[in-house]
Amino acid sequence: MSNIGRFAVVSPKAELGSNVIIKDFAVIEDDVVLGNDTVVEQNAIIKSGTTIGSSCRIYNGAVVGSDPQDLKYKNEPTRLFIGDNTVVREYATIARGTAYSGKTTVGKNTYIMNYSHIAHDDIIGDNVILVNCVEIAGHVTIEDWVYVSTLVGIHQFVKVGRHSLISYISKVTQDIPPFIIAGGNPLTYMGLNLVGLRRRGFTNERIAKIKEAYSYIYSDKYNVSDSLKAIKDSMEINEDIGHILSFIETSERGIVRNR
Amino acid sequence: MISSKAIISPKAIIGSSTVIKDFAIIEDDVQIGENCEIHYNAQVESGARIGNGVKIFKSAVISCVPQDKKFNNEYSVLEIGDNTVIREFATLSRGTSALGRSAIGSNCLVMSYVHVAHDSIIGSNVILANSVNMGGHVYIDDWATVGGMVGIHQFVKIGAHSFIAFGSRVTQDVPPYILAGGTNLGYKGLNLVGLKRRGFTEDQIKNIKSTYNLIYGNEYNISDAVKAVKDTVELTAEVQNIIQFIETSERGIIRK
Repeated sequence: MSNIGRFAVVSPKAELGSNVIIKDFAVIEDDVVLGNDTVVEQNAIIKSGTTIGSSCRIYNGAVVGSDPQDLKYKNEPTRLFIGDNTVVREYATIARGTAYSGKTTVGKNTYIMNYSHIAHDDIIGDNVILVNCVEIAGHVTIEDWVYVSTLVGIHQFVKVGRHSLISYISKVTQDIPPFIIAGGNPLTYMGLNLVGLRRRGFTNERIAKIKEAYSYIYSDKYNVSDSLKAIKDSMEINEDIGHILSFIETSERGIVRNR
Repeated sequence: MISSKAIISPKAIIGSSTVIKDFAIIEDDVQIGENCEIHYNAQVESGARIGNGVKIFKSAVISCVPQDKKFNNEYSVLEIGDNTVIREFATLSRGTSALGRSAIGSNCLVMSYVHVAHDSIIGSNVILANSVNMGGHVYIDDWATVGGMVGIHQFVKIGAHSFIAFGSRVTQDVPPYILAGGTNLGYKGLNLVGLKRRGFTEDQIKNIKSTYNLIYGNEYNISDAVKAVKDTVELTAEVQNIIQFIETSERGIIRK
């Protein structure tokens, strides 16, 4: 039982779940999977190679599963996966992967606002919010619960740690570790994302531990590698602290600095 | 391969093997070459002159009305060279009476949400990354790369093979062969990666480097530096290109 607009173009090869709604002038290409209860609004297009979960909503004019904007891309078959309950607002564009990783991934419950762009081979986690006009380059990883404010540009290969917030009109060229607010020009550490952490039920004890770890990392006394040593020597390594340590230890572009 | 759901003027001239997908709109005074692709819902307005092998992606608007209050429906065109790719939601304006045309060369990649303004001239092999926005009358020479979210002031010139870092504000001219970046856009050295990829020899690069060492050194102001370049550096084609660019710059060039 799908509800398809009179002027929509839907390939008979596309796989549509139950109660899918496709409005007029939307285009669904051949190799597309749409989960149950997903809505595709007027004039949006879903291109071949795209798998969208259930209860997603793709708004007017959005382009989902577009060709990667990469001069090396030579029409190899690649995919885009979007998790359940994700919303893609008007004129957003999301590319498929290239031969590099073969896929672009967007998680569950993620909200992608107007004009935002997600590029080839990106990995976007669950519960992420991208506000209007966020431009993300290729190979970027954004972990769960990250909030990216409006007009932020993210350089290729950057990683953003979970629960972090990037303030508006920022240029992100280095990795942003988890649980923090990054802002200013050049982009710097601005303290913990306290509002976000409390909303998600972090206890005061848990937040205090994270705060303590960052007091080493962004202290004047240590460089980054010494600060990690100091944390390991003097702090109990719980799950949050372990994640901060492994994030920084595996960072290839280096992390943003203190202001 | 022309969709019956596309709206195409019978007066438009369309080359063979060109693909036009559903809901695309092609207006009257349009010329499109061979082997092009016009994707869903793209709009090609009157005045478009499109070469061969050009791909225009979904909802891009080609030869749109100039965003200039002086524009009074005068005849003007937008030219696109062969094999150029225009991505989703890009808007390319035709000219005004100032120049009568806007143009973009061959083998360019114009990414999503870019705006090419009226009377702008873009060379060949240029890359404009996402959300590059420019004022009118901008000139961008061959092989330049403009990073994402860069804003370019009207009448600015960007030299060949230069690279502009993402998120920059460009208010003065960027001379050829360099990297420009920073909060106040400045010279950050040569675009070595770009130059080497395009087969510039060590000697060519050395001459370009000596030229910019004088121009962006602390010893000279710019006009004295140009004199010093003429006196001391071998005047290869690249060095002459730099000198000519600086001497004809109207807005002045970016600083260190």
